[in-house]
Amino acid sequence: MKKQTDGIELEGRVVECLRSAMFTVQLDNGHKVLAHISGKIRKNYIKILPEDRVLVELTPYDLTRGRIVFRYR
Amino acid sequence: MDYKPLNTDPSRAALVITRVADGQWHALEDDLVVGRGHAARRPDGRHFVSIDAWHADTFDHLAEAMLADLPAPLFTLVDESDLESSANWQRAGFTIRRREWDFVVPTDPSVTGLDDVRPPSGVRILPAGAADEDQLRALDRAIRADVDAGPGWQSMPAEVRPRPAGDTIVDPARYTVAASPERYLGLVRLVTATRRPRIGLIAVRAGEQRRGIARALLSHVLGTLHRSAIPTASAEVDQSNTAALALLEGIGGRRISSSLELGR
Repeated sequence: MKKQTDGIELEGRVVECLRSAMFTVQLDNGHKVLAHISGKIRKNYIKILPEDRVLVELTPYDLTRGRIVFRYR
Repeated sequence: MDYKPLNTDPSRAALVITRVADGQWHALEDDLVVGRGHAARRPDGRHFVSIDAWHADTFDHLAEAMLADLPAPLFTLVDESDLESSANWQRAGFTIRRREWDFVVPTDPSVTGLDDVRPPSGVRILPAGAADEDQLRALDRAIRADVDAGPGWQSMPAEVRPRPAGDTIVDPARYTVAASPERYLGLVRLVTATRRPRIGLIAVRAGEQRRGIARALLSHVLGTLHRSAIPTASAEVDQSNTAALALLEGIGGRRISSSLELGR
């Protein structure tokens, strides 16, 4: 059985690449969050560019921050 | 599976690390996943690991469990500007093994300066998909042998999977080739699966270098992208590969970020 995660997963679009390996992602609900790339994505050499559609896992401790856990083709 | 309550902080639930599948670990608090670890074996035989956790102590416990379960050496990748990730891995005993630069390369000939570049005398450029597959595989094997005689292929940035025939050609249509009447001399592999095409490999036979073949190949490939209204391509170059760094910077390529390969 898949275990529940403490984060919240939402889809969005990358609108800006920032310094320190961070990205601004506009979620489908209109909110903008600051996100970094998950270690799993980086390990697989997946690059993130502006306009990419991504799945973001928001931290339960700060809903304006998260990590990109999947990039859609 | 290993269950081990780790967190003694009374304000938080006990932290439990469990190996849920081959190469996959979870950190659980109150039965919620608060961190994940992954390990995967690359085609070159090396094991790469990753950890995603919101808290440093969760990271540390996942790292401890994974390192105990996996054979050394282990490797991971971090963005050099992500100081928190680097610090996490260095706490776990990882050190920097190499640095790789991420480039954005313009395609416009008026920017790259490649508009007047022609192949050297007796060399012609075969566009993507036009190369003879047997000769292409022979060139790939020769280039691999050249690299093995130098710094070695094992630590090359691109993943390379030797095929049964001993080469790495998966999709011949991705290769643009420089050819003499006798044999193939050099190649460029271009991956166009993403919105920004990626130059996966530029290579010329050892005895044919410094003749302008790589520039001629790039002129063709980048010019083709420009005519398709694609303004830039990406490339990754190892810090020690000074020839490739000079080649890309000489045509207006910009370093936009860098990745560190850490090992333990």
